[in-house]
Amino acid sequence: MSKKFNENKFDELAKEFRYVITDMICRAGSGHLGGALSLVEIIITLYYRIININPKNPRWNKRDRLVLSKGHAGPVIYTALAYTSFFPKSWLPTLNADGTRLPSHMDQILTPGIDMSAGSLGQGLSCACGIALAGKLDNKSYRTFCIIGDGESNEGQIWEAAMFAAHNKLDNLVVICDYNKLQIDGFTDDILSLEPLTDKWQSFGWKVFETDGHDWNDIYTTINKAIAVKDKPAMIIANTIKGKGNTIIENKPESHNIKVPDEEAYKKYMNVLVDKNIKLPY
Amino acid sequence: MGKLHEEEMRKVYALTLNELIEENSQVMVVEADLSKASGTNPTVLKEHQKNFVNVGVSEANMICIGAGLASEGKIPFCASFTCFASRRVYDQATISVAYANNNVKIIGTAPGITAGPNGGTHMCFQDLAIMRVMPNMHVYSPCDVYELRAVLRHMAANKQPTYMQLIRSKIGKIFGEDYTFDPKKSVTIKEGRDVTLISTGYMTHIALKSLQELQKEGIDAELIHYPSIKPFDENSLILSAKKTRGVITIENQNILGGLGGAVCEVLSEHYPVRVKRLGIPDRFGEVATAEYLLNKHKTNVCHIIDAAKDMLRRSNK
Repeated sequence: MSKKFNENKFDELAKEFRYVITDMICRAGSGHLGGALSLVEIIITLYYRIININPKNPRWNKRDRLVLSKGHAGPVIYTALAYTSFFPKSWLPTLNADGTRLPSHMDQILTPGIDMSAGSLGQGLSCACGIALAGKLDNKSYRTFCIIGDGESNEGQIWEAAMFAAHNKLDNLVVICDYNKLQIDGFTDDILSLEPLTDKWQSFGWKVFETDGHDWNDIYTTINKAIAVKDKPAMIIANTIKGKGNTIIENKPESHNIKVPDEEAYKKYMNVLVDKNIKLPY
Repeated sequence: MGKLHEEEMRKVYALTLNELIEENSQVMVVEADLSKASGTNPTVLKEHQKNFVNVGVSEANMICIGAGLASEGKIPFCASFTCFASRRVYDQATISVAYANNNVKIIGTAPGITAGPNGGTHMCFQDLAIMRVMPNMHVYSPCDVYELRAVLRHMAANKQPTYMQLIRSKIGKIFGEDYTFDPKKSVTIKEGRDVTLISTGYMTHIALKSLQELQKEGIDAELIHYPSIKPFDENSLILSAKKTRGVITIENQNILGGLGGAVCEVLSEHYPVRVKRLGIPDRFGEVATAEYLLNKHKTNVCHIIDAAKDMLRRSNK
């Protein structure tokens, strides 16, 4: 896979991802749109520029591992997996359809390229710790990436894993927090404030970075800095916008799980994304 | 290992793990600050430090770390008291282990009334019930050191999410060195014609004690021990129920949902006969000796005999 970067092309790709993700979720009739759209630039950067993958052999033992602990953002990963040829793009519109291999929350048994099933919040980071620990014990070169949500960080298990990773010096683990400042019931500051988030992770013994989660160069540079950290795990707090790119829902609590009961609602969510250069790939 | 049955069960647990690690370096011990209680510290820690991980008091974290290790080919044995290894981590065991089909072995130590001095907070009577209704999860409850060793060997050799109860103390001998374990097979300890006794784990010792007393009463009981609650050997149960005049289940658990529940499900569907469930009658535990609790909850030898007599009295056969 080419790791060359062309900002214009990546901008176009991000637009296409957002169009496809919105279409998938709208076709399904409902889904977690906001938290998928906030991750688009991060996921594209990971899959196109950072992680070692082998779409022909999804369980290739030298691949980098990626655990999406906020498993409800499955559609953004599915789009990346389809666009990098883990499975045909024709699977994408089957999201949540009867008998689908692309369930709303990720299933490692059903979907090629998924390293860990996730959906019950708080568990994925511990799983990623186990994966990273196995890599350390066996002197494997793979790196483990994990993406957690800000709302997910309310879960106590996140902080159990935080202590474990620091104690065991898991410097082959890079975690990204999708800090879009919104959770299901409202703004994180109103529901259960996470601040000072950077200080929290630092005090747990992590090397902490902040990045603009929609800025290509900032994301890429920061992830590479995080990868280079030695003797401690690295956390990237990615400042993002929930529902980014879809102005109907951008930065609104209702972006978490949209309901699309009819054609009118479908058009409402899709029309704001229409671009003459974008066609659905299925 | 010399006279294995003179050892504590947890000692045999740890010694067997040492053997398994020596045979396959992928086997790992994962503990959550109860490694001395489960017996792996110092026995495993001293011999195989690289295969030993202590996550601190974070059982949920332990199960998911186990899932991550298993997804990389490790065979983690994650232990804690039964209350924490089952009900506390139920969602982690469900999603990260069973649903994801990660090859994690969950060990629940000090099952049921054997949690004595820790009392009601730690005395878990529901782990067999809640773990057996989890798709993809095998559930075992070995009754002595020989069976324990065979079960552990089976667990290490088979890619299968599993929950196992571990009695920690010395428990005495039922089987011998030649014991082999097949999760699909129950073990008929004694054949009989009058009444069927079904037991698992710790209670197989109590059921065994009752056999002699039953014989004195002129009752020819059949005793079938179930080391595996899931998968459950339906066939042996049905065959025995066809032969005798009723079935008595004996367990160190709530009578709702566990071994008694499994037996009733099978028999009501395939061969309805009278069943008496002996165990904890939907109560919480308390600080007490096992003997006190067996008597309080009418699950001791004398209660098995009363139940058998009552069963035969009611029988029309």
